[in-house]
Amino acid sequence: MSRCWLALVDGPATGADAAARAIAADGHSVGILAAWRRRAKPVRDALRVDERLIDPDGSAAWISLVLPPPGVRLAFDDLAVQQARRLVLLHPFPAAVSTLLRDDSHFDGAITVTHSASGQHRLRDDPFARIFPSRLLAVEAGILGFVPPPTGPTIERYGSGNPWPSDRFG
Amino acid sequence: MSAPHGARNATGAVGTDAVGELAVGGQVPDFELLDHAGNRRRLSHLVGGDPTVLHFYRGWWCPKEQAFFRRLLALQEDAEVAYSRMVSVSVDPPQVNAAFRAGLGARWTFLSDPDRQIQTQLRLRETTDTLNDPYVPAVVVIGPDLRIHAAYNGYWYWGRPTRDELVRHLRDISRDLRRDWEAPTP
Repeated sequence: MSRCWLALVDGPATGADAAARAIAADGHSVGILAAWRRRAKPVRDALRVDERLIDPDGSAAWISLVLPPPGVRLAFDDLAVQQARRLVLLHPFPAAVSTLLRDDSHFDGAITVTHSASGQHRLRDDPFARIFPSRLLAVEAGILGFVPPPTGPTIERYGSGNPWPSDRFG
Repeated sequence: MSAPHGARNATGAVGTDAVGELAVGGQVPDFELLDHAGNRRRLSHLVGGDPTVLHFYRGWWCPKEQAFFRRLLALQEDAEVAYSRMVSVSVDPPQVNAAFRAGLGARWTFLSDPDRQIQTQLRLRETTDTLNDPYVPAVVVIGPDLRIHAAYNGYWYWGRPTRDELVRHLRDISRDLRRDWEAPTP
């Protein structure tokens, strides 16, 4: 399986395979970022994410978490989403990135990860943040790892149900 | 100017000339090199499950390479939606490759072989350029098993594949690779 589930939850992340506290720039906790490796959706707001991004042994990280405003939907094949994927390939690749999916046909956000303080400035230029608002958060150790840079230049998903840049069919 | 090295392969695979150790029907060694961002990358991981254009080039400074990259940039527009990959290899260090790649607008992986280990292994050193010791310009089109479907010796510019030739090779490999090539219909 090339995908798992990711959600930012207020309460305890019941049954999660990896979880860590997420903290806003002003220092207050905004919830628990949690991941579940299972087929069934674990919580209502969970989104599909490239499973390679999840690492219970992962170090602390900073993320750009892009999510659509409530009620807004955008096709995954929208030109803006295509162009954001091109820009991700063109620019220096972060520690990890994944689009987020609720279903097979819509873009429901993206997560971009850096593990170094020097990489934080890149999060402010997240190509996906040109589509929907981005929240810049610190995430404690225990959930986020690395995704190898895609070979390129493929911007398509390997199966419409899978997040990009997961790069194998099946 | 040397004649194309090696003989044509008799396996029935489509191709033109062999170059160095890269002959149609053979396999590219599964080498490891640093990419343009300094990450160590293995060829088989870069190729994954897709047909791949593997391109060896002299360096950013060569007008012929600049012209050929424009051809690859045009191919990029198709490859990005065709489940096909591209990898370019030179002796330039990662920082130089990163700058060249960014200037081109290339969205595929560039690999660096500054120690010329893979160049030596593949017998792809261009001996007529003792200043730069670059790669002989070469293109191979390979499948996920790293088997060479087509090989082009680009020492003379017209030895390089056209965009149409590359598309044809990528199509042939894809046809063999994708079990659902014939679209499912009622």
